[in-house]
Amino acid sequence: MTVSIQREPIDVAREYAQLVGPRPGAAVATFTGYVRDHSDAHAVSQLELEHYPEMAQKVLMALGERAADQFGLSRWRIVHRYGLLDVAETIVWVGAVAEHRGEAISASELMMDTLKTDAPFWKREQGPDGQVWVASKAVDQHRRARWRSEEKA
Amino acid sequence: MSITIKLFSSLREVLGESEFEFVLTELDGTATVAAVKSALSQRGATWQEALNQSNLVHALNHKVVWTDAVVTAGDELAFFPPMTGG
Repeated sequence: MTVSIQREPIDVAREYAQLVGPRPGAAVATFTGYVRDHSDAHAVSQLELEHYPEMAQKVLMALGERAADQFGLSRWRIVHRYGLLDVAETIVWVGAVAEHRGEAISASELMMDTLKTDAPFWKREQGPDGQVWVASKAVDQHRRARWRSEEKA
Repeated sequence: MSITIKLFSSLREVLGESEFEFVLTELDGTATVAAVKSALSQRGATWQEALNQSNLVHALNHKVVWTDAVVTAGDELAFFPPMTGG
């Protein structure tokens, strides 16, 4: 039911424990994204994440609420980082608690697919030839579009 | 009327500004995002090129909009390339 946009690393174990609480729902799904040491074209040594704070907060809150409505979640949480990140650090964590696995997994997927294209964050990779802004990927747009077609239905 | 312009990512770098107040002198009352873009494009070739990229995203008061959205005094209008979070 909450969003955190933070500079510090994500404490995944603590996030999980807080999400499920003392009485977990029947099904819990989470996703953790980490900084990779390579992109499609080159090695990556560091990742910088720029963001638009006020808009990011609103977009992520609306996204969590939409996932909760659509999949009947009892609890959800989205955590996204900004700033300078090293390889293998956490970038993003989402969690969803539902009655059944299908809803929990689908809600996590909806949150991830949508935040990649709709939340105002921009990645810049530090590679062998300097810093490069990451271009949006067609595959991310396609994954986002699947949920958009459900919005119209 | 005066509005706040915000620029992010590669657009912020290319244009060398992240946030400023912008006064639309030739218009009163309301204008569209397209009108603001065209007024800002008068600042020079760099601005014109940057603001007319085909994949430019416009957010008005934190919501993504098309260029026909109406802008009013005190609004916050942001321009940026496609988002790449997650």
